[in-house]
Amino acid sequence: MSPIVAAASVIAAALAIGLAAIGPGIGQGNASGSAVEGIARQPEAEGKIRGTLLLTLAFMESLTIYGLVIALVLLFANPFA
Amino acid sequence: MNSPELPIETPPENESPSGEQSPESNDSMQEYYQLQQNLLRDTLILTGIIFGSVWIFYSLNIALNYVIGACTGVVYLKMLARNVEQLGRQRKQVGKTQLVGLIVVIVLASQIDQLKIVPIFLGFLTYKAAIIVYMFRTLSSSSS
Repeated sequence: MSPIVAAASVIAAALAIGLAAIGPGIGQGNASGSAVEGIARQPEAEGKIRGTLLLTLAFMESLTIYGLVIALVLLFANPFA
Repeated sequence: MNSPELPIETPPENESPSGEQSPESNDSMQEYYQLQQNLLRDTLILTGIIFGSVWIFYSLNIALNYVIGACTGVVYLKMLARNVEQLGRQRKQVGKTQLVGLIVVIVLASQIDQLKIVPIFLGFLTYKAAIIVYMFRTLSSSSS
C-alpha cells in the first residue's frame, strides 16, 4: 500500500466514525433523557417507554454502525490497497 | 443559646426508601420483557429462514458466515436491551459496550480468509428486520 493511500484511508476512517457518531449521539442523548423523564413522571408506563426507547436506540445506533463498518473495512480490508 | 432548626427532609410519597420499584412499575416491565422475547424470537426465525435460503442459493460457507453475523446481532440486541433496562437505575447513560462484539467479528473477518465481511454484516442487520416485522405486526394489530 502506498503511503498516500494509507494516510488517506486512516483519515477517511477517522472521519467516517467521527461524523457518523455525532448525529446518533445527540439523538440517543435526547431520547434517553426524555425517556427517563417520562418514567419519572409516569412509573406505571415504564415498560412501554423502555420498549419504545429500545426500538429507537436500535435504529439510531445502526447509523453509527454503518460508519464503524466503513472505518473498519478501510483500516483492515482496504479495497484500494 | 438556641441552635437554628434544620429542615427535615422527607422522601416523596411515591418513592420507596430503598429505591425499589413500585408494583405498577413491575407490572409494566412485563411488557418490556415480552417485547424482548418477541424480538429475539423473530430474529431467530428470520435467521433460520435466511440461513436456509443462502445455503440453497449460494453456499454453506456463506450461510455459516451469515449465521455468525446473526448471532453477533442477537448478542448486540440482548446487551442493548440490558443497557436500556438499567438506564436510570444503575446507569446514567446508554453505553457502547454492545459494539465490541461487532468490532471483534469484523476485524476477525478481515484477517481470516474463510470469513467474509458482507455476509457477516448483513447477518448482523437481521435484528433490524425483526424490529421492522414487529412494528408492522403492532401496526396491523392496532389498526384492526
